Amino acid sequence: MAAEVDQKVVVHVRSTGDAPILKQSKFKISGRDKFLKVIEFLRRQLHQDTLFVYINSAFSPNPDELVIDLYNNFGIDGKLVVNYALSAAWG
Amino acid sequence: MGGSPVGDGTLSLDGFNASATALVKRWKEIEVDDSLPDWTWKPCSNLGVPSQVEGYLALEGVYRDCGGSQIEEEDSSDGADVGYDTWVQSSSDNIHVYDFHVVYSHSYKVPVLYFQGHRSDGQLLTTDEIKQDLPSNSLKVLSESKWTFITREEHPHLSRPWFTLHPCATGDWMKLLLEESKVAYEEQSPRYLPAWLSVVGQAVGLKIPLELHCKS
Repeated sequence: MAAEVDQKVVVHVRSTGDAPILKQSKFKISGRDKFLKVIEFLRRQLHQDTLFVYINSAFSPNPDELVIDLYNNFGIDGKLVVNYALSAAWG
Repeated sequence: MGGSPVGDGTLSLDGFNASATALVKRWKEIEVDDSLPDWTWKPCSNLGVPSQVEGYLALEGVYRDCGGSQIEEEDSSDGADVGYDTWVQSSSDNIHVYDFHVVYSHSYKVPVLYFQGHRSDGQLLTTDEIKQDLPSNSLKVLSESKWTFITREEHPHLSRPWFTLHPCATGDWMKLLLEESKVAYEEQSPRYLPAWLSVVGQAVGLKIPLELHCKS
C-alpha cells in the first residue's frame, strides 16, 4: 500500500510527567521509516534506554509500524504527535 | 458500579467485562491479519456452572513460524555452552502455536496476560523455546529483571502453570494512555483493552492491528 512517492511526516514529540522537554520538539521524517526510528531518536536525545512512547494518549505503536500509516490514521493538524515518558512498562 | 476508576489506570471488574465485550465485537469488525484468530470470552465455571460475571478473554491458536531468525541469534548468544546443533531443527518443530488469555486481576485491578505455546505435535514449549520467539527488546528486559517481567505462574482459572506478564506497572502506564482523553469515564472502558494490548502485544510479539485504535 505504501506510496511510491516518499512523503515526509512532521513529528511533534511532547514530554509527559518529569521527562525533559527537547529543544527540538518537531522534526521531519520519511513516511517510509518505521516508528522505531522515532523511538531511537528520543532515546538518543534523552540518553535514556527505557522510554514509554505513545500516540494521542491512546496506544503505544509497534516499532515496526510505518510512520506514514500512523500519520494517515492518527495525524492531527498536519503532524503526528508523539508523547514520551521516562517510565518503563516492564521490569 | 458507579464511576469506574479508569482515571488512575485501573479497571473495575464491570469495566473489564464491558471492555472485553467491546473488544470481541470490534476485532470482528476490523481487518485482522489472517494469522490471527478471533478473541472469545470464556466464562469461568464454579462447580460446573458457568459464571455470569467472571470469565476471561482468549486468543487461541496463533501460529508463529520461527524458522528464519534462529541463525542470526547464534551470533548474539555469547554463552559458550550453546552448541550449534541447538539451532538445527526439523521443519515441523519450527511452527509454534500460542494461546493468549487475558484475566482480570482483583488485586491489581488491571488485566493480566497469560500465555503458553506448543509445537504442532502438542508438546508445550519450554522457557528457552519461547525466548526464541520474543522480540529482542523483551529479551533485554528479561535479562535485566528476571522476576518482574515474564514469569511462570498458575493460571488462575486453569490451575496449570502458564507464562504471565507481571502487572505491577500496568496501572502506571495505563494512566498515561488514558489520562489526556477528554471522553467521560464511562466511555473509557471500551478503549482500555485496545490500549493495554498495544503495550502487552509488543512485549510478547503479538502484532495488534492498527485499525483497532482508529475510531469506529
